[in-house]
Amino acid sequence: MARGKLERKPLIPVVVTVIFFAWLYLPILAVALFSFNDKKSLSSFSGFSLRWYDALIHDSALIDSLAASLRIATIATLGSLVLGTMLALGLERVRSRRGRVIGAVTLLPLVTPEIVTGVAALLLFTGIGLKLSTTTVILAEITFSIAYVTVIVRGRLAGIALEVEEAARDLGCTPFQAVRLVILPTLLPALIGAGLLVFALVFDDFVLAFFTTGVDPQPLPVRVYSSIRFGVSPAINAIGTLMLLASGLLIVAALVIPRVLARGSSSLDLITGGDVR
Amino acid sequence: MSTSTDPTEKIATTGTTPSVSLRGLTKVFGGTTVVDDLSLDLTSGEFFSLLGPSGCGKTTTLRMIAGFSDPTAGTILVDGEDVTSTPPHKRDVNTVFQSYALFEHLDVRGNVGFGLRRKGLDKRTIDQRVSEMLELVELGDRGKERPSRLSGGQRQRVALARALINQPKVLLLDEPLAALDLKLRHQMQAELKQIQREVGITFLFVTHDQDEALSMSDRVAIMNQGVIEQCGTPEDVYEHPTSVFAAGFIGTSNLMTGTWSDGCVCVTPTLRIPAPGHQGSAEGDTLSITVRPEKVWLGDLTPQMFRLPGTIVETSYHGATTQYVVSIGPDLTVTVLEQNLPRMRAEDRWNPGDQVEMGWLPEHTVVLR
Repeated sequence: MARGKLERKPLIPVVVTVIFFAWLYLPILAVALFSFNDKKSLSSFSGFSLRWYDALIHDSALIDSLAASLRIATIATLGSLVLGTMLALGLERVRSRRGRVIGAVTLLPLVTPEIVTGVAALLLFTGIGLKLSTTTVILAEITFSIAYVTVIVRGRLAGIALEVEEAARDLGCTPFQAVRLVILPTLLPALIGAGLLVFALVFDDFVLAFFTTGVDPQPLPVRVYSSIRFGVSPAINAIGTLMLLASGLLIVAALVIPRVLARGSSSLDLITGGDVR
Repeated sequence: MSTSTDPTEKIATTGTTPSVSLRGLTKVFGGTTVVDDLSLDLTSGEFFSLLGPSGCGKTTTLRMIAGFSDPTAGTILVDGEDVTSTPPHKRDVNTVFQSYALFEHLDVRGNVGFGLRRKGLDKRTIDQRVSEMLELVELGDRGKERPSRLSGGQRQRVALARALINQPKVLLLDEPLAALDLKLRHQMQAELKQIQREVGITFLFVTHDQDEALSMSDRVAIMNQGVIEQCGTPEDVYEHPTSVFAAGFIGTSNLMTGTWSDGCVCVTPTLRIPAPGHQGSAEGDTLSITVRPEKVWLGDLTPQMFRLPGTIVETSYHGATTQYVVSIGPDLTVTVLEQNLPRMRAEDRWNPGDQVEMGWLPEHTVVLR
């Protein structure tokens, strides 16, 4: 009796799952679909065309925004990688209670509502008389992203025995060389993963960018938002589709590249069992 | 057989500069003295073991020699040169770590050649020496593998090769075999000893495993609570322990306490165990003595032996040997180990309750501090 119940298809969970995914992805699919529409309409799909992609590449303001967003994401990624990694290396060495408190404070940006971070950044920049521009966006994004880098790098560092660094020094490295020649190369998969994740987060971040950006050029998400207020052009759909594609690729890369680089350390150990022959 | 426990004696007779000299080495961690005024000389080319329970300060001593830990007091000389305040990368010392600490981003050759590249040797020399070293540790065909793809035993050999290739004045080994299973450990013990003989480098081996220390070492120092309890050849420290700790830590020992009187130790008023050759105690002093289980006979006694009656309390069969616990008085037992020789059959063994006459040669009674 119990077996018969188990073998029957569980109908309700399947229906709920289908509805959930439809709810989640249909609007996004609609955006992608209408980016290929040959009319301006956002309600009826009349034919396939690339005219909105064409319109997009001739819209210099949008292209400027795209360039600004790419620049912001690149610099913020590099900046937060450098600072976040240094912070992770430092925290790894402080094993006192003070160190644990600092470690916990590092994670605060992850749970602070972004709007609070945004308002705080805005107040700070205007307070010290810093003119709002892409530079202020970059500064705010770096501050926000350090936590992600630190969390990911610390996770990897925890898996590296302290003895590895000592081994490097034992074999002739100064403390700085030990980090450069052994610790950083060992961390590389984590650094790539953290970098891609931060890039994807910053590239399409709206809230922080909205509060801290200057007038021109606006970061892409802010530009998209403001152009929607003056009527939606399907060019926005086109750029949305492209951003979706790029973010998706980045996140897949963030998941896959570290695994490929660290190949053998986990999956192959399972096969060999870490045992002799 | 020498019973000397003075670590400097061997140096005096050979007259060469010791590979490592520790002078009054002390390490205090937050009020706890981990290593306490330790002095030690390692003869060039010897296999020396620091043996002790966890927390005895042996690893801390090793880390101070490597340069990872600064001594609170004392001096460290490597090959006659004071390196007490020299950073690790400038010391002519290399370490094999317990976790092996291999560099996962480099292949086996990259790991082994790491130290030579740091020294700035040319690529051809490095290649050649890496190949030689991989041959020595029998990993000639695994040079291109990532460490993560090697077995535990192979990783251990890479760690050994990576340290040995630098031809240090002394190689420090921090429980390098602890992570291996028993059979592999025995195999690696033999190989390690053979490699040491081949390269002739001084090995300072830290372990808590007495079998390992006894079977591999030229000399063993038994360490406890930051001090060296006893130092000597494996035979010395096993046959002639000088302290209660040393006797108890290595092998099984039958510890008895009594008062010194007329050349005997009176454990009970009726049990007087002779200790010929013991000097330096006054009548009435309290002494500890021990006798190793395999030195005690249960039958076939010779006339020279000290004899006493006993009752078998417990027997346990261990394959090659049988262990008996024999009661020789109230709350007083002696453990006896008998070889299961070819002529012995099951009915030849003693059973609990059997009355026996046991005995041992008087020189096998060891008086402890």
